[in-house]
Amino acid sequence: MMATDTSIAPEGETSPSGGKPLMSLKGIRKTFGSHQALRGVDLDIFAGECVGLIGDNAAGKSTLSKIIAGTHIPDDGHMMLRDEPVRFQSPADARARHIEMVYQDLSLCDHIDVVGNLFLGREMTKGPFLDQDQMIKRAEEMLARLEIRIPRLTAKVEKLSGGQRQAIAIARAASFEPDILIMDEPTSALAVAEVEAVLGLINRVKERGVGVILVTHRMQDLFRVCDRIAVMYEGTKVAERRTQDTNLEELVDLIVGKGGH
Amino acid sequence: MSTTYTERVAGSALRDFVTDFAQVLSIATFFIICLVFFGTMSDVFLTPANLLNIVRQAAPILVVAVAMTMVITTAGIDLSVGSQVAFINALAAITISAGVPWPVAIVLMLAAGAMIGGVQGWFVSYQGIPAFIVTLAGLSIYRGAALLLTEGYSIPIRDADGFLWLGRGTLLGIPVPALIAVLVVIAGFVVMWRTPYGRQIIACGSNLEAARRVGMPARRVVNSVYVLTGVASALAALLLAARLGSGSSNAAQGFELQVIAGVVLGGTSLMGGKTSMIGTVLGTLTIAVIGNGLILMHVSPFFTQIVTGVIILLAIWMNTRLFTGTWKIGKGASNG
Repeated sequence: MMATDTSIAPEGETSPSGGKPLMSLKGIRKTFGSHQALRGVDLDIFAGECVGLIGDNAAGKSTLSKIIAGTHIPDDGHMMLRDEPVRFQSPADARARHIEMVYQDLSLCDHIDVVGNLFLGREMTKGPFLDQDQMIKRAEEMLARLEIRIPRLTAKVEKLSGGQRQAIAIARAASFEPDILIMDEPTSALAVAEVEAVLGLINRVKERGVGVILVTHRMQDLFRVCDRIAVMYEGTKVAERRTQDTNLEELVDLIVGKGGH
Repeated sequence: MSTTYTERVAGSALRDFVTDFAQVLSIATFFIICLVFFGTMSDVFLTPANLLNIVRQAAPILVVAVAMTMVITTAGIDLSVGSQVAFINALAAITISAGVPWPVAIVLMLAAGAMIGGVQGWFVSYQGIPAFIVTLAGLSIYRGAALLLTEGYSIPIRDADGFLWLGRGTLLGIPVPALIAVLVVIAGFVVMWRTPYGRQIIACGSNLEAARRVGMPARRVVNSVYVLTGVASALAALLLAARLGSGSSNAAQGFELQVIAGVVLGGTSLMGGKTSMIGTVLGTLTIAVIGNGLILMHVSPFFTQIVTGVIILLAIWMNTRLFTGTWKIGKGASNG
């Protein structure tokens, strides 16, 4: 994060710390039917930094983040996690490698209570049974750490507001010691105080050495938490900038295709 | 100029409880109304002998309804349970009369049920064919297979007193089928209420993609619930065979509809996710009580079917209109 580093090479970007990337994507391609969602994308994620992923709708941001999270399997390209090639066949594979994602649609189960959703897929058990008491205790700690207020943890998620639901999705992804945390539009439905809490959270997990990928339309958030910003356009990465070397105007030009690199 | 902040206070716990369990409370109320109604209309209805008789007769339905609750919770359906019961029922009679010891026959039948259910579940979960279609095909296939096996005749089960005890015997004054049904119900309740597997079933029905994304074996879970209806159908078939002392391809006609009606009456949603094992028990027993009560009131058995159907429709209408969270009556009473 040295301000002296003013230029970004088109390939093989230097890391903020000069070290090796935590995760490295090379030539990722993905096609849905006849639609080329991704046309060969490279991206590096370093430990302890936040990469902003921006672009217009259908630029491929969500598809790229879902590939990292194992939800989509790329048609072509390589993924390296700590210098080790990985191929995720399912989100479970990615989760096992400590990659967590907050999905844009939140991926909550409406008919399960708040606690159950926070621990979905990694329920705590006592013998063959769910340890509800223990999970409630842990859930209270998890939510308190993120300054999220949910009145009743045993309420079904369908009863909650959009912001509360989003807060739960974030708490679920952030609370189990991820190495890479992907957030797809995490603040779109949040209230002012909650947005602050999420941005605070991103800065905190960065300090712990987590690599964060933030997909967002809220440009003001980018400048608060991101170290680098990657701009996507029509399924390709058209530009990558250090946050301190760019400004809102340039990013908007890049997004709409007036960048002219 | 001072700004004061106040915190919202938590709502009453009773109200939360009523909202959370509105469906079960309403079917429980309806069940009690039925008991009181038939109790006053008929002298014999509330006698222990009659009540035990109701439970004995409802036992096979109850056993399958427990598994059906899990299937419907995954937003699936199993229309083939009646045909599966007939097929296993006939197969059991043939196996036992062929000289296979009955305990061995029981194990074989349960395994056969698991296999049938497993195949159907595979088509539903791994091949993505709608459960309605797969099990509608199954409904036809297994009834046909039962007819083919028996050529339409009833096959008697002889010299297997231990087996017949399962359907006719009592333990501590309670019919054995009822005891078996109670065990199945308790197991089903505990699984859905407090086990990771039950949680997976609900998650798959509530949001299949979310279940997959958090690393649950979503396809395997969906497949497995059909194995459970297969095993439950086999158990129900054995209870029926043991009670009637024979196996017949005509057994369990309309059985699937009774089972599904009981589950839906109990508040489990056909859209998946929303589930209630207690509701299923109450719903199934309500239908059994209505059938029994009307017969005791000397209502024509032909009329019974009409009344049962109308009451199911009314009860479910009440459930969805009056008991969904809001208690307002009148315009816009329902919010779901």
